[in-house]
Amino acid sequence: MARIVGGFGISHTPSMGLEYDKGLAQGFSPRWQKWYDGTRGVKAWLERAAPDRMIIVYNDHLNHFDFSAYPTMAIGVAPEFRQADEGWGLRPFPSLVGDVDLGWHLTEKLVRGGYDLTVCQDLAVDHGIYSWLPYLMDLPWTIPVVPVAINMVRHPIPTSERLHQFGKDIRRAIDSFPGEDRIVVVGTGGMSHQISGARFGIANETLDHYFLEKLKDETEELVAIPQEELMRLGGTEAAELAIWFSMRGALSDKVKEVHRYYTFPAITGCGVVVYEEPA
Amino acid sequence: MSNSIPFNLDPPGTYLYTGQMATKGFKLTRFGLSLRDPANRERFLKDEAAYMREAGLNEEEIRLVLARDWTGLIEAGGHLQAMLKVAATVGQNLWHIGAHNAGMEVEELMRICPRTVSALPEGEK
Repeated sequence: MARIVGGFGISHTPSMGLEYDKGLAQGFSPRWQKWYDGTRGVKAWLERAAPDRMIIVYNDHLNHFDFSAYPTMAIGVAPEFRQADEGWGLRPFPSLVGDVDLGWHLTEKLVRGGYDLTVCQDLAVDHGIYSWLPYLMDLPWTIPVVPVAINMVRHPIPTSERLHQFGKDIRRAIDSFPGEDRIVVVGTGGMSHQISGARFGIANETLDHYFLEKLKDETEELVAIPQEELMRLGGTEAAELAIWFSMRGALSDKVKEVHRYYTFPAITGCGVVVYEEPA
Repeated sequence: MSNSIPFNLDPPGTYLYTGQMATKGFKLTRFGLSLRDPANRERFLKDEAAYMREAGLNEEEIRLVLARDWTGLIEAGGHLQAMLKVAATVGQNLWHIGAHNAGMEVEELMRICPRTVSALPEGEK
């Protein structure tokens, strides 16, 4: 039986990706050097965890989908996922390797289990994944992934309860996936931030630390916070924290927290927390 | 505007992107997203107004884009992520949009970010 060996929640921002490219070429700015250093432990953990496959719950930023049809929840099932051009051209990275077998298995179990997922056999992936992935994985990227895109760009967005339950149902689906594969589940969304309106740049580090502190053992308490409250206190895009609940839901009550880091480089709270299942 | 940040979701602090906003700004957002294609970026830069007329924008929307009136564009229902692509195409970035929204110069906004606040959900310490 395949099993989930761990997972992590991590922020994403366009600048995280662009600063990585600059950082490698000419050295990181002090603000981003911290994030680079802070993610070394996650990279080391991921190498030790040695997943055969990864499920990544993220959000698109109108880079693949547009409002002619914007899915509330979508799953990518394809041999590869190309990088989306977000308006400033492509970064020097290859496509992601897609996991067709796990993708169809999850689609079968989750759709039959009550999730009306949009299935994407062609999906361009944006900074939701491309911004943090280079920090954690050297090239070539060989671990096949199943991306799951959650609408966070136009309200209404899925509830925190729904996304938490979605994670639990991912776990159930993995239980029936044949083979002995090791699977890592990722949930990625910005922490506190707001990138439009006069509240642009709001930075509630207190809220972000509180979230990281409670996510493992007091998940239900966090899930019960109205998304409006998260947006009011942490900026409208803090609603993306709800995506982290899918990661948490996919893991057991027995996980150990093995790494945590947080900094606020510029516009977005950048945090990461890693949970590991007992062997 | 000062650096004080209200804990509410009302304009001009926040423009929550609702269905109604998406309907109002449908064409504006569609136009912004068309600039994901490098060939479209090139065509747009050659003659901005002509490109936008072809995209079905009205005169007011065209005026807002030509004026780089990012706040007006967001009020008109242009989605931030789509307006960001317009900004990128004309050599601006998120900071320009943010500064316009916050009523500041870019340098000033960059200097005061992160704009630290501290608050927890009700009843939490």
